[in-house]
Amino acid sequence: ADAFLAAPQNISILSTNMKHFLTWSPVVVQGATVRYSVEFQGEYEREYANESWIPISECSLTAATMCNLTEDISASVPYRLRVRAQLGATRSPWGTLTGFFNRVTTSLTPPLLKVVADGHHLLVELADMGPAFQFRVLYWKKGQESRVKQKVLREVSSMVHLDTMEEGAEYCVRAQAHVEAINRSSSFSPTQCVRAQGDTSLWL
Amino acid sequence: SGELYCSLPNPRNVRFESINMKNVLHWSAPEGTGDGVLYKVKYSVYGVGKWIKKPECRNINRTWCDLSRETSDYEEQYYASVKAFLNGTCSDWMETTRFNPLTDTKIDPPMVSVSSTDRSISITLTAPEKWKRSPEEESISLLQVYPGLLYNVSVLNKKTKKRWFFSISNNTLVVPWLEPGTAYCVSAQIHVTTPLLDSGFSKEHCIATLKDK
Amino acid sequence: SVAEIRAGFAAIKANIQSRDPIRTLSVLSHPRSLHKVKSSDRCCVAHHLLTFYVDKVFKHCKTEDSFVNRKISSIANSFLSVRRKLGQCREQNNCACGEESTEKFKQILANYEGLNVTSAAMKSLGELDILLDWMEKSR
Repeated sequence: ADAFLAAPQNISILSTNMKHFLTWSPVVVQGATVRYSVEFQGEYEREYANESWIPISECSLTAATMCNLTEDISASVPYRLRVRAQLGATRSPWGTLTGFFNRVTTSLTPPLLKVVADGHHLLVELADMGPAFQFRVLYWKKGQESRVKQKVLREVSSMVHLDTMEEGAEYCVRAQAHVEAINRSSSFSPTQCVRAQGDTSLWL
Repeated sequence: SGELYCSLPNPRNVRFESINMKNVLHWSAPEGTGDGVLYKVKYSVYGVGKWIKKPECRNINRTWCDLSRETSDYEEQYYASVKAFLNGTCSDWMETTRFNPLTDTKIDPPMVSVSSTDRSISITLTAPEKWKRSPEEESISLLQVYPGLLYNVSVLNKKTKKRWFFSISNNTLVVPWLEPGTAYCVSAQIHVTTPLLDSGFSKEHCIATLKDK
Repeated sequence: SVAEIRAGFAAIKANIQSRDPIRTLSVLSHPRSLHKVKSSDRCCVAHHLLTFYVDKVFKHCKTEDSFVNRKISSIANSFLSVRRKLGQCREQNNCACGEESTEKFKQILANYEGLNVTSAAMKSLGELDILLDWMEKSR
């Protein structure tokens, strides 16, 4: 009875900024709601636990065609992923993601950065990107590009003090996101420059 | 003592409450019992084969017992247990979950002291000390217990209502180039990365920069 | 990373430790604490212990709780990548195994084999914070 329910197709991973989603095309049965179940298998399960698969309860018998794997893909090892359709008691064969997924391949976007001059003080505010992230902030006095300073920030979403600025001088700032767990960084955000004595800039 | 049959309801919510590794066992009285309930306490080092009675907490009517001295080695883990007595009957022994002083303690905010000149404020932070047996005993700062300890410092300009944050690993911070004759309020928090522990923010310490000469 | 292992363990610590009723035995910390291991032997002991957990412990810790099983899986897979990093030290001969580390590891195996396999595995998993505290302190 399983035979006539096709396995899900076009199975793929969307992974950005350490958030990982499995997606697939819907299996269409006229007038019926097909549901799906997702399972994962890490390197540990393959090598040490008889190639066992582990179900993701949040994506068991779900009508959605997407599943958030972020909580489960929490090691930098190759994972295999599969999904099957179910209609009543009828189950499709498993559709398996081609190849492996390792979170080290996640795409990292530059951080959203807001630079503010408050009197003589250079401040930045960075949008939170999640617990895995820290930020490498580079700043320098315009014209002194060879004397770049750096700060690594973990706590974000508040106005963080970088440095004090010389009277009337212009300072430039750019930042990149860094994920220690996979030892990779995003590209840099566009550079923003502000001038001491009250200049402010908008989010980019 | 071999109580044959204990029909008294059990003490409830038996747990360690720990601040700066001052480790105090707390519990709630058995359900439905009024005054007159007495308790005794024992503890054990996890992995070591015996329960040890706490004499100072024998036949007590309060519902806490300070076990800081007995649990001061934070490289060990512990269990504690409480038994209730009333009118000749008793309860079962009721145990805590396994207590790990290193990860299960709460950390107080740092002490903050602030001084000012006309255009700057100087902030000095002091991490709390680990609980110690007596004032004469050598003090151990939590900085030594948690080497990765950082301070998050918040500086609020009371005039502009703007708040700045600093993340520092040493315990002093000078904020120059401020406005004269302006009130600034400082509070600080301790942040430990491994294990992950945060104190709350200290209460605010406000100080005004001196007026322009 | 070790921080992720710690976060994963914190989420299931109470559940796992409640499945270990034996207070009087420890696999890792008695009779001699891990903290007594000489610094020169730490890398070797750590590598032995990571392998011990991967080979002997995780596979015997399956529970009826899906959330716990998923956390154990992410811890086990994280152990593989931490062990891989530690393996790089061994390749650079920075991971010597002295007599003490061999002795210490024998003691741990003896503690483990003194219990039935499921109890031993669940007890070892419940002692993960002992291992992590020691590894982070030794870093």
